[in-house]
Amino acid sequence: MIPNVAPAPADSAPATAAAAVQPKSGQRAAFSKISASRLFASPGGVAGVVWLAALVVASLTAQWWLPYKTEDQDFTAVLSGPTAAHWLGTDELGRDLLSRIFAAAAGTLGTSLITVIVGVVLGTALAMVAAGRGQTEGGISRVTEVMMSLPGTVIILAVIGAVGTNIPLIMAILGVLISAGIYRVMLGQAKSLQSQLYVDAAKVDGVSTLGISLRHVLPGLTNTIVVQSALIFAVGMLIQAGLAFIGFGPPIPQPSWGGMIQGASQHVYDAPWLMVPTGAVLALTVLAANAIGNALGKAPNTGVSHLPSAAARRQRSVAAGAAASVAEAGAIPAKGHLSVRGLSVGVDGGTPLVTDVSFDVGPGTVLGLVGESGCGKTMTALSLLGLLPAGVSATGGQILWNGKNLAAATEREMEGIRGRDIALISQEPMRALDPMFTVGYQLTAAIRRLRKVGKAEAHAEALSLLEKVGIVDAKRILKTYPHQISGGMAQRVAIALALSGRPRLLVADEPTTALDVTVQAEILSLLRSLVKDTGMSVVMVTHDLGVVADICDNVAVMYAGQVVESGRTANILDNPRHPYTLALLAADPHANTAADMPERLATISGQVPQPKDWPTGCRFMARCQFAGSACAAPVPLLPSGSEDGLVRCVKADELAVEGLEWLATEVPTHRVLKIVEKDLA
Amino acid sequence: MALFITKRLLMALATVLVVAVLAFLLVHAMPGSPGAVSLGAGASREAIDEVNGRLGWNDPLLSQFFRWLGDAVQGNLGTSLIDGRSVSADLGNRLPVTASLAAGATVLSAILGIGLGVSAAVRGGLVDRIVGGICGLAVALPAFWIGIIFVYLFAVQSSVFPATGYVPFEVSPQDWGMSLALPVITLAVGGAAFIARQTRASMLEALQQEHIRTLRATATPTWKILYIHALRYASLPIVAGIALQFIGLFGGSVIAEQLFAMPGLGQAVQTSVSTHDAPAVQGVVVIATVVVVAVNLVLELATKFLDPKLRAS
Repeated sequence: MIPNVAPAPADSAPATAAAAVQPKSGQRAAFSKISASRLFASPGGVAGVVWLAALVVASLTAQWWLPYKTEDQDFTAVLSGPTAAHWLGTDELGRDLLSRIFAAAAGTLGTSLITVIVGVVLGTALAMVAAGRGQTEGGISRVTEVMMSLPGTVIILAVIGAVGTNIPLIMAILGVLISAGIYRVMLGQAKSLQSQLYVDAAKVDGVSTLGISLRHVLPGLTNTIVVQSALIFAVGMLIQAGLAFIGFGPPIPQPSWGGMIQGASQHVYDAPWLMVPTGAVLALTVLAANAIGNALGKAPNTGVSHLPSAAARRQRSVAAGAAASVAEAGAIPAKGHLSVRGLSVGVDGGTPLVTDVSFDVGPGTVLGLVGESGCGKTMTALSLLGLLPAGVSATGGQILWNGKNLAAATEREMEGIRGRDIALISQEPMRALDPMFTVGYQLTAAIRRLRKVGKAEAHAEALSLLEKVGIVDAKRILKTYPHQISGGMAQRVAIALALSGRPRLLVADEPTTALDVTVQAEILSLLRSLVKDTGMSVVMVTHDLGVVADICDNVAVMYAGQVVESGRTANILDNPRHPYTLALLAADPHANTAADMPERLATISGQVPQPKDWPTGCRFMARCQFAGSACAAPVPLLPSGSEDGLVRCVKADELAVEGLEWLATEVPTHRVLKIVEKDLA
Repeated sequence: MALFITKRLLMALATVLVVAVLAFLLVHAMPGSPGAVSLGAGASREAIDEVNGRLGWNDPLLSQFFRWLGDAVQGNLGTSLIDGRSVSADLGNRLPVTASLAAGATVLSAILGIGLGVSAAVRGGLVDRIVGGICGLAVALPAFWIGIIFVYLFAVQSSVFPATGYVPFEVSPQDWGMSLALPVITLAVGGAAFIARQTRASMLEALQQEHIRTLRATATPTWKILYIHALRYASLPIVAGIALQFIGLFGGSVIAEQLFAMPGLGQAVQTSVSTHDAPAVQGVVVIATVVVVAVNLVLELATKFLDPKLRAS
């Protein structure tokens, strides 16, 4: 019964999951200080606080309001159910259950608190020491591991043999045993708090290890401390009741919850009611403590599932059915032609993330989707495969692929498209491959599924695919696990995986961003040769204009969920029309040749606005050097004049006529001087 | 891997040794000397001293400990002060009872817990909330209370299962199963809830991994993503959770044995502690530790085997 306390998986575990996916935001959220609002936002938390408070008050004031003394015996009502005289009934000696339950409450709660205090203080202190002085961590962790692998109950009983039923002492020793589990929970958090930059800064400033622990680490742990205290409190009560149940409770006439349940168990044949009141009060108290712990420990929902739940998938099918009738209106398309028309993507029932995006990708061509982070490129790309994260969906428009509207397709229809027609390669190849299976398993499974071939044939095909993506020792790579190969190699494997269904369109979500510069060039040239050899088309998501210049035939520049300019790559790079495109080019060190490299690269002041802050007019207006009053009205996407180019700017023509350029903003000189002077002083 | 196993084995040995020392010290801190305990109230001072002297109670602690350790390594844990029976033989008879109980409860907890946890994570919505509610309740209810309710429902109201007692497997496998049913189910309620929570959290974490998207992008059927890939990824923390749960259930069997009148280790601890039977307490603590540490070691090795990163190194 003891180890139920060990690193509580309860509801707090996803915090670590979130931290793994989004290291920065997830971690910060986990360190949030204790928040009363979070406690009171949860109905369970409120109920828990109310019950515990009522129980404490009732037990402390018991002597004034209890109808009977704990030892009063009413022989006219032995083993009675609830009556007017005995609200919760009586036991085998006619003693009033209500009085005995509340008389026992104070002792139970108080001694459980001893376990909490000893366990949490010891566990937290050990964690802070281990985190503060790295060399002690190994030893402390080893000792706690040993403590956690002990049969705690048996040891506690042996202790009782030595010290007798001295409940406070036993509960304190229980606290020591439990502190190992608390240490494990606290250590991870204390360590990441120790590695924060402000802690490094404090160290440089000469703050002592103890000072850092108390001033910077402990405050960050408060929420976890409260959560663990609540959970341990519950465990303490259960163990104490369990001990009393097997006869190691307070001395006999004194009531205890476990002892009362033990007494009741003797009468389960003739008076089953006797079980109910004590069991219910004990269970409610444990529930209350757990509810408080869970309400405070609930991690903010940061991680996003890549597989919508069954309920969400059903909803999608229903929505798709409703939208399907609209879809048929498209023009007759060429085979392998992607045509996105007025696509909108948004959080379910809330903010739009992408609005009114249109572009075309012809067979054998490469389209670049370019823009800063957070402008909706990845969401647009994922919607082509119906792989938007849970809670996000296409809210309007059409994705026409071979005449079929994928935006309105059901999950089952998309399963027929994915891999076979449209494939995906993503930003971080290491995380895109399943760490639990070999490269060979993943590749052959995909080939067998997508090409309907046998095992041997799939194996041969896997080898030839790996060779095709430039892997020399394909045989060896097939046997490796993803963690055994380099990032560049993993991306080649991921590309081979994407090719396993002979797709006509490849969606590449920043395929080179996470790779070394030399490897980037290799992967790009691999993609280029694949396009040439197989005739497939590519939608390339990137923020790198160099990649665009290198591989893309056409470009769509995205800003704040919209396409602001699109057209042939050469036209856009040589003759940009939208101020945002101008700014991106001016800010790119590679876009300027050595001869005309400016002294200072341009910057774009401010940030991409959050979707909820998008204005009705031009979304770039707030950051634009050329913005005027006309920009406040909604701006349509209009032909830019060069071939099939389009631009979304009311001033595009004016800018083109006047030949204006995005200028590097001057850094005010007085500011530069000030810093220098201060440093010298 | 060999190095890892050796290290873990040494660690396990050290754990048992530490507990042996601890048990030895606790037993010596017990009130009353072995002579007083075995002869009972009313024994003369001389008689008590005579017994104590024969048992070497007054020898230096260190030599007493090493004498005990030497005997223990050879399988002799001394004799009971109360009835003079061999502690090793008695515990040898009791171990199968507790082992069946704890193993049965662990297996049942794992099956129920993984099933519930996976469906909560996969189905979401109402199913998730219902499973969450059941788990919350199951964790809050004390096992002994649940056990009594089960006795009331399945033994008193309808005599599906026997209320108490234990039938050894050799006597009748069927009765053995029947006699274990209620205690195993009783212990599994809390265990299953714990494993269900662990499973749910681990599955949700697995489904947040980016490789799940790759699997979907290559048209992997949903059932395969869930039950082969995500569950495989989640299996490491789940097995670790099961290992932890085994320790808890082994301890919980003290209560189950008391409640269902089963002659297991738990009952032995309870009786020997109540009667201050020093060799018995010492023996049972060490045996319980050996079992728990050994099972933990096996499950830990299983965890390492499940993780390709650790298997390769």
